[in-house]
Amino acid sequence: MLNISKEMENTRLTFSLEGKLDSVTSNDLESEIMNSLEGVEELVVDCEKLEYVSSAGLRVLLAALKLMNKQGTMKVTNVCDEIMSIFEMTGFSEILTIENNAKTQAKETKEEE
Amino acid sequence: MDNEIKIALSGRIDSGNASSVEENIQNEIGGNKNAPVVLDASDLAYISSAGLRVILHIKKTNPDLSIINVNSEVYDIFEMTGFTDMMTIDKAYRVVSIEGCEEIGRGAKGTVYRIDKDNVVKVYNDADALEDIQHEREVAKLALVLGLPTAISYDVVRVGDSYGSVFELLNATSFSKILAEVPEKMDWVVDEYVKLLKLINGTLVPEGKLPDSKEKIMTWANYTKDYLPEELGKKLVELSEALPHDDHMVHGDYHSKNVQLQNDEILIIDMDTLAVGHPIYDLAAMYNAYVGFSEYDNNVVKEFQGFDYKTSLEFWHKTLAAYLGTDDEAKIKEVEDKARVLSYSRLIRRSIRRGGLENEKSKAEIELWEKELTELLKKVDDLYFDPPAFEAESGNELDIEAEESNLHKVLDFIDKHLDAVDCPPKVKMQIEVAVEEIFVNIASYAYAPDKGRATVRVEVSPEPITVTITFIDQGIPYDPLAKEDPDVTLKAEDRPVGGLGIFMVKQTMDDVTYEYKDGKNILRIKKSI
Repeated sequence: MLNISKEMENTRLTFSLEGKLDSVTSNDLESEIMNSLEGVEELVVDCEKLEYVSSAGLRVLLAALKLMNKQGTMKVTNVCDEIMSIFEMTGFSEILTIENNAKTQAKETKEEE
Repeated sequence: MDNEIKIALSGRIDSGNASSVEENIQNEIGGNKNAPVVLDASDLAYISSAGLRVILHIKKTNPDLSIINVNSEVYDIFEMTGFTDMMTIDKAYRVVSIEGCEEIGRGAKGTVYRIDKDNVVKVYNDADALEDIQHEREVAKLALVLGLPTAISYDVVRVGDSYGSVFELLNATSFSKILAEVPEKMDWVVDEYVKLLKLINGTLVPEGKLPDSKEKIMTWANYTKDYLPEELGKKLVELSEALPHDDHMVHGDYHSKNVQLQNDEILIIDMDTLAVGHPIYDLAAMYNAYVGFSEYDNNVVKEFQGFDYKTSLEFWHKTLAAYLGTDDEAKIKEVEDKARVLSYSRLIRRSIRRGGLENEKSKAEIELWEKELTELLKKVDDLYFDPPAFEAESGNELDIEAEESNLHKVLDFIDKHLDAVDCPPKVKMQIEVAVEEIFVNIASYAYAPDKGRATVRVEVSPEPITVTITFIDQGIPYDPLAKEDPDVTLKAEDRPVGGLGIFMVKQTMDDVTYEYKDGKNILRIKKSI
């Protein structure tokens, strides 16, 4: 299951994801994103409640990034430790702008101890 | 055929006697050009190329030429020279006697006898059954390839005036026999019987490989409608017509004599009625086997199955409940009534065509079926029901259609095992991702553009706790590990979309192996947790 909520603020569009971004659910996200990028200058994908990403999910993020690089910026926020390790493994941590807020970082640090 | 000319060939036919043999044959044919000619090669020991030319000459004047009872040496010559492609050439068949042999199964087209400890023979009712035998071999092969446990015949023999096909079936006992002799095992039999039926009904058949059961259903309805009140007859045809096309497999004669326990393996036999269609078709045939045929005379089932009518009713009811996965009597009754519409539609036709109206007992039986069907048709408005979930899950193994939409079922299955060993969240996600990548890979490529099944097996070993997951499919041979790893240092613009899945599997798992064996892709991942 993946819940997608969408919030538009001027030219900033935020997608908040909740659940799993996998081969089945990534199609929904892909069509949601691709259909709403017109006029968007800043795309935010918030992963605070996202638990899982497979290569199908990465594919959608990469496709969105390629588009946004032409018309503005994209960032991914509040990535949990499990998903972060996938981003690192695949080099996505280098190509994505990832912004984790204090709450998530504190949690990460604690888990690493 | 009346004008068929049968001529016996004997000894050797070679350049020494070819012309005299030809002369004799032409004398027998006389002026009957174009008449069908059958050469009986029972006593023919050898044929040389001069002999083959004789046969070609005859074929010119009498194109409908066939050769029968050809011994295997002579058959090899015919095969090598391409004669078997030009005309009908039938091998001589080994003769098998079934005198005193135990009858272990009976189907629409034949009866199965055990001829010795390891072998059974299915004797076909129709004396002209070679085509049927060929058909059954083909469908049994197809079923085996699609992952169903069945036996394939290895020899065709003569049994009296009939043909038979021989199967290896060691120490096997039919489910009917178990039900008759060990009644306390009924619940186990129900479980296994239903599991196998779900496997059959859950198997997608590539288009055009099997006949469509809908045609049978329409034949029944179009015949039986004339024996019902006009409106209801019309309704029977409409309901039958409205059943949607379905590419899943149906067995067509799935009763407990056709399921055999061989050592620890459960096999399904009697595959000649295999078809595609909605599972209501199988339920209708099962209703007949356990109830319909015995509804008027309750003793019939004992004769046929070996257990009594009461046992039969109980077994049928339990089976249907287990198949539908419900205890809700109303729901069970609803599906049973749908099945009964088809059951009676078939039974009435079958009995009338066999002269049932000329015999008092059969006539009373037909009247009972007509009455039941009439009542049913007043209340049943649809023959369709939602088939149950078809995954066969047995402990640590899941057998499932390799389709992306089944991904979550596979992951749920894996999670259950991971949760049982308290797998930490990070490792759990890695394993889940690995399972997803591999399963989706199989779903997308293994059988494309057709469909097929995959087996996922989970094994857990202790110290350190290690999870091994094996994926088996019977698609095209493909080693995903052979693919070059993607460059994960590229900039976004230079990256291809995709190709990361298997890379992640390799990165996160402790061990990944691939082999192609016995027509199967076997991919195994290991991870200690």
